[in-house]
Amino acid sequence: MEATLPKSATVNRAVPRVTPQTQPFGATAPSSTLPLLFTITGLLALFLGAGWIVVQPDILAMYHYSPAAIAATHLFVLGWLCSIVMGAMYQLVPVALETKLFSERLAQIQFAFHLIGFVGMVWAFSVWNPKSVALFGAVLAVGVALFIYNIARTLLRVPKWNVIATSVASAIGWVLLAVAAGLVVAVAKSYSESLPTLAGWVFRFDPIGAMHAHAHLGAIGFFLILIVGVSYKLIPMFTLSELQNPRRAAWSVILLNTGLAGSFVTILLRSPWKLAFTLVVIAALVLYALELRAILRARKRAAMDWGVRGFLTAVSFMFPLSIIAAVLSWPGLPVNTYTMQLENVYGFLGLVGVVSFAIIGMLYKIIPFIVWFGTYSHHIGRAQVPSLAELYSARLQIISYWIFLAGLLTTLLAMEFSNVVAVRCGTGLLAASLAVFGFNVATMLRHFVRPQLKPLPKTSVNRAIL
Amino acid sequence: MTASEQNEQTILAALRQVIDPEIGCNIVDLGLVYSYAFNAGKVTVVMTLTTPGCPMHESISWGVKNALMNIEGITEAEVDIVWDPPWNPSMMTEVGRRMTGTGNF
Repeated sequence: MEATLPKSATVNRAVPRVTPQTQPFGATAPSSTLPLLFTITGLLALFLGAGWIVVQPDILAMYHYSPAAIAATHLFVLGWLCSIVMGAMYQLVPVALETKLFSERLAQIQFAFHLIGFVGMVWAFSVWNPKSVALFGAVLAVGVALFIYNIARTLLRVPKWNVIATSVASAIGWVLLAVAAGLVVAVAKSYSESLPTLAGWVFRFDPIGAMHAHAHLGAIGFFLILIVGVSYKLIPMFTLSELQNPRRAAWSVILLNTGLAGSFVTILLRSPWKLAFTLVVIAALVLYALELRAILRARKRAAMDWGVRGFLTAVSFMFPLSIIAAVLSWPGLPVNTYTMQLENVYGFLGLVGVVSFAIIGMLYKIIPFIVWFGTYSHHIGRAQVPSLAELYSARLQIISYWIFLAGLLTTLLAMEFSNVVAVRCGTGLLAASLAVFGFNVATMLRHFVRPQLKPLPKTSVNRAIL
Repeated sequence: MTASEQNEQTILAALRQVIDPEIGCNIVDLGLVYSYAFNAGKVTVVMTLTTPGCPMHESISWGVKNALMNIEGITEAEVDIVWDPPWNPSMMTEVGRRMTGTGNF
């Protein structure tokens, strides 16, 4: 006897089928341990970084070319953002591109290089020891090379190339350049006597321009391109919608790449053409915003959870960020305290308001998934298991969302006016928001120790009929 | 209700115990189950997932198998995941639409 449900559609039997018999449980499933290691490392770096700027608010209230500011930025970018993004990529790239990670072992080795590399770099920057920066930078670079190789080999397995694969491929290319650029500068500064040719070439560039060019390679090339590309898969998945215009999506990624290439060169050379390439990046973000709006308008799930809302709020900050970028790229911009501090505001809004807030929004999807997968995936169908949204408190999530916004706005204003006390208030609010977020993460992780399983009712069928 | 209809209800009830943890709705009301057949203690379910590459792929298909094997009288359960036709939200039942706050058709 065959029963067909009322809402079902005709099934094409010619299409290859995947059954649990042909694909045993766990064969393609990502391991929870590896992304969790990266995630916990990232969160610890985030909390440490937040505490650091509360204790030392002058890092943000002063121009950012100082050992403490550079050390704190590397803790934030490498320790928090890179750890989270790399861990999430190991988990999400295979999912988004419907393939398997090339090597989990390689990813574990990378974690060791990453941890030693970034901790050492942050220490070396804080005590301003360029030789140690170069040494630990090289350790980090080995890890990044392993990461790139692993993701590149994973991309080679992708059955159908699309805009998401293009953005991931671009991102790993840019992160390679960002790390290489940073390492070259560190080596040139440390070994100028033994490597005079390299040092001579590097010192031709203005050091602040070189630092900004290096920062844009990482911030736009790695984080922004990934946020744009991966959200073309994740936002439709979470809101029950579809990509509306693949060509528009592809152009947004192409323009981001073009704009970044031009921005890197023009920032490095302090060229007046910087504005032209900033406008190319802004055009890419306009296309991205239009596509995102179309995806959301076509969504079938009316209610949006706060993880998605947080992500979209972060994306909306790209608008003021673009305006500030255009102002800072203006060829005739006067140089004064306010325009110099606007560079701090630009960097903080980009890394905290856009990238970090977007990541925190997505972590409300990623961490529950990792925890659920590790704790409940083997019990589904055998016991009553919670949904992902039941693993944490949505109320606390909303509270931390609003405190974060208040903290961000206060910090940005305080930075612009170099007000140390107000910076401390703003970063204090941000730290409070992160503490609430941390509590919610602990609530999620508690399910590893205390799973919430309820028994299912026992039922039976009439065997005579079966 | 005939014994056959009763069995059908039992199987559907078992399948409703399997949730898509991301959406927080069971697979029957989500419209993921396309058909099922039962014969001599063996049940075969043909179903899909909300998106190809769904991270819950294996968990859900094993969950279905577990839920069916939990029914007394069923000795074998097979789950076929198909991608054609692709799932879309209009396949949800009224209950599913209410549970997920889905509209806009």
